[in-house]
Amino acid sequence: MTVIKTADEAKQDRAYLQSLTELLYQLADDDFIISFRGSEWLGLAPHIEEDVSFSSITQNTMGHAVLYYQLLEELGEGEADILAHDRSSEKRRNAVYLEKKNGEGDYIEEPYYDWALTVIRQYLYETFKKVKLEALLQSSYVPLADTAQKVLMEQTYHLAHWKTWVRQLQDSTDEAKSRLQFRIEEAWDEFLDVLELGPEAKEMEKHQLIVSEEELQQQWLADVKDTLTYIPDKPLQKTNGSGRNGEHTEDLTQALNTLNEVYEMDKNAVW
Amino acid sequence: MYNFVEHGGKETSTINEDPVKYEQFMKRIEAGEKIEADDWMPEEYRQTLIKLISMHGISEIMGALPEKEWTPKAPTLKRKLGIMAKVQDEMGHGQLLLRVAEDLIKPYGKQREDLMNDLLTGDLKFHNVFHMETRTWADAGVVGWLVDGAAIISQTNMLDASYGPYQRALQRICAEEVFHAQHGEAIIMELAEGTEQQRNMLQDAVNRWWPALLMFFGPDSASTTGSSKQEVTTKYKIRKSSNEELRQAFLDKYLPRVFSLGLTIPDETLRYDEEKEYWIYQQPDWNEFKKIISNNGPRSKERIRLREISYEKNRWVRQALAPAPAYS
Amino acid sequence: MGERQDGSAFYQEYEVFSKKSDKAPVQHQFSLLAPNEEIALSMAQENFMRRENVIDVWVVPRNHIRSMTSEERQQWTKRLNNKDYRTTKGYGYLKRKWREKEQDMLDEKEILSWKEVKKK
Repeated sequence: MTVIKTADEAKQDRAYLQSLTELLYQLADDDFIISFRGSEWLGLAPHIEEDVSFSSITQNTMGHAVLYYQLLEELGEGEADILAHDRSSEKRRNAVYLEKKNGEGDYIEEPYYDWALTVIRQYLYETFKKVKLEALLQSSYVPLADTAQKVLMEQTYHLAHWKTWVRQLQDSTDEAKSRLQFRIEEAWDEFLDVLELGPEAKEMEKHQLIVSEEELQQQWLADVKDTLTYIPDKPLQKTNGSGRNGEHTEDLTQALNTLNEVYEMDKNAVW
Repeated sequence: MYNFVEHGGKETSTINEDPVKYEQFMKRIEAGEKIEADDWMPEEYRQTLIKLISMHGISEIMGALPEKEWTPKAPTLKRKLGIMAKVQDEMGHGQLLLRVAEDLIKPYGKQREDLMNDLLTGDLKFHNVFHMETRTWADAGVVGWLVDGAAIISQTNMLDASYGPYQRALQRICAEEVFHAQHGEAIIMELAEGTEQQRNMLQDAVNRWWPALLMFFGPDSASTTGSSKQEVTTKYKIRKSSNEELRQAFLDKYLPRVFSLGLTIPDETLRYDEEKEYWIYQQPDWNEFKKIISNNGPRSKERIRLREISYEKNRWVRQALAPAPAYS
Repeated sequence: MGERQDGSAFYQEYEVFSKKSDKAPVQHQFSLLAPNEEIALSMAQENFMRRENVIDVWVVPRNHIRSMTSEERQQWTKRLNNKDYRTTKGYGYLKRKWREKEQDMLDEKEILSWKEVKKK
C-alpha cells in the first residue's frame, strides 16, 4: 500500500486529497457536533458527579474534533476555528442523528433534556467511534493513523462510561427500560447515517484511508449486540437524511446559530 | 463563599451545651487543631458550618449556570474548551462542598436530596452574583475575572479554617481558582485590547456588574441588614477577616488592574484615602441585595427553574439505580 | 433513609483513593455519591484527578471503612516521646568507632545504594 506521510504529499494527488478531506470533515464534524450537544448538558445532568465526568468526556471529544480540524488546516482547508465556526449547514458532514437536540426546550430556558437519549446516543456513537478509530490505525494517511492512535487512548474510557450507564439502566426499572427502548427504536431509524462514509466511501476504501462501510457496520452491530439486551427487529435507516451528503435538519441550524453567535459578531476580531 | 450566613436561619445559642465539652472544644480551636466531622462540636458551630458550606456549595452549582449560558457560544475552539473546563470546575467545587455539608447534616437524617429540595423551596440561598444576568460574552469574562477574583479573596481567607473537611476542600478549590483567574483575565484582555465594539462590551459588563461585586462580600456591619454572624465565624476560627476587610482587599488588588486596562468604574465618589489606607465608595443598595438573595433577583427564578427541571426530569434515573433497601 | 421511594437511595457514599505513579502509595482523595461501585469508579477520576496523573483508582463504600472514632483518634494516636531505640538516634558514636578502625559507617544513604551489586 502507498503510504502518505505528509500533507504536502497528500496534496499531490487530487483524488486522494478529496477522499481524505471528506473523511476528515466527517470525523471532525461528528465529534464537534456531539460535543456541542454535550456542552449544552453542562449543569443539568442527573447528578453532580456525573455532570463533572460527562463534561470531561465532552471536552475530550471536542479536543478530538480540534485534532481533525488541524489536519484539515494542514491540507489547506483553512484555520481550525473557521472550519468549526464558519461553515454553513450544507457544508457540514456530521451525521444528522448527532445533531439532534438533547430533548425539548432550550439549554437556557426550559431544557427538557432526556438522559435516555443521551445515554443511548453516546453509547452507540462511542461504540462506532472505536470501530472507526481502530480501522484508521491502518490508514494510508500516516498523520490520520497517528491521530487515531492518540484519540483511542482516551476514548476507551468514554465508551466504558456510557456502557456502564446503558448496562445498568437497561437492567433496572420498567420505566428506565421503556425509556431506553424508545430511544433505541428511534436510533434504529436514524443511525445508518452515522455508519456511512458518504459519496466518497468507495474512493476512501480504494485509497486505503479506511476499510469499507460494510466492514465497519458489521463490527459495530456485533459490538452493540454484545451489550444491548434490546435490539429492534427492523433494518437500520436514515430517515432524517444523510449528513454525509450535507443534508441537515433545523436542529443543526439551531446548533450553528448558538455556537457561532459570538464569533459572528466580528469574524476579524481576536477573541 | 462567605457570608450570607447572616441572613435567615434561627439563632442558636451555646446555653444548652455541656460546659466541659464546650471548653475542651474551644481549647482545640484556639490551639489551631482541626475539627473533624465526627468530633463533638457545639450546635452553634455545626449550624454555622452547615449554613456557610451548604450556601457555598450550592452557590458553586448555581454559579455554573450564568457562565454556562456562554459555554456553547464561546467564540473560538480554545475558548469553548477553556470555559467548559472552568464551568466543570464550578460543578466540581459544588460537589466537594456539598459532600462536606452532607456529612454535617447527616446526624439530622438529611442528605443531598434534602439540600436540593431546600434550594427549590427557597430555604437554601445562593450567592447574590449568581442571580444576575450574563448578557454578553464580556459578562462571561467579567464573571471569570472579577466575580472569581472576589471569590478567591473570600475563599483564601478561610484556607486555615478550623473545620478540617472544609479546609481540605478549600485547598483543592483554591488551587483550581488560579486557572479560573487566568482564564478570566485572558478573555477580558482580548476584549480590552480589541475593537471598539469589544471594549464597549467589556465596559458595559463592568458597569452592570459593579454593584453586585460590592454586595458580594456582604454588608459592613450588622446594622446594615439587621443581623450579622461575622463574629461567630471569626470566634470559631472559620474565617479571619471581616466583610469590609475582604472587600477592601478586593478593591486593593483589582481596581488598579481595572484602571490599567482603561476601564472605568460607575461610581464618581470612588477614591483611595491615602491617609486612612482604604477605598471610599458608594454603598450598593443593601435592600436590593436582600431582595436578590431572597430569590427575587433578575434571573433567580429562571436559574432555580433550570435546577428544578434537571431534578424532576432525571428523577427516573435516580429511582432506576437506587439500590433496593436492605430489609433485615 | 433506605425506605424513601424518591430515589434518594441513589446517593451512596464512596471514598475515593488513587495512585499517582508506580512508586507512589495509594492516597485518599475525597468522597463522592453514586448508586453503586461501577458508577462510582466511572466518575472518580474525572471528579478528583482531572489535572493530575493517575495510574490506579479505588472506590470503597464508606461503611466498609472502620476508621477510628473521634475518641479513638484522641486517645490512640498519642505516644510517649521515648522511642529513640526504634531509630538510629543514639547510634551516632559508631561512626567514630568505625573511623578508628578505618571503616565507614553504614548509614541510610550507603545501605539504600546497594540496589546495584557488581555483576559477576
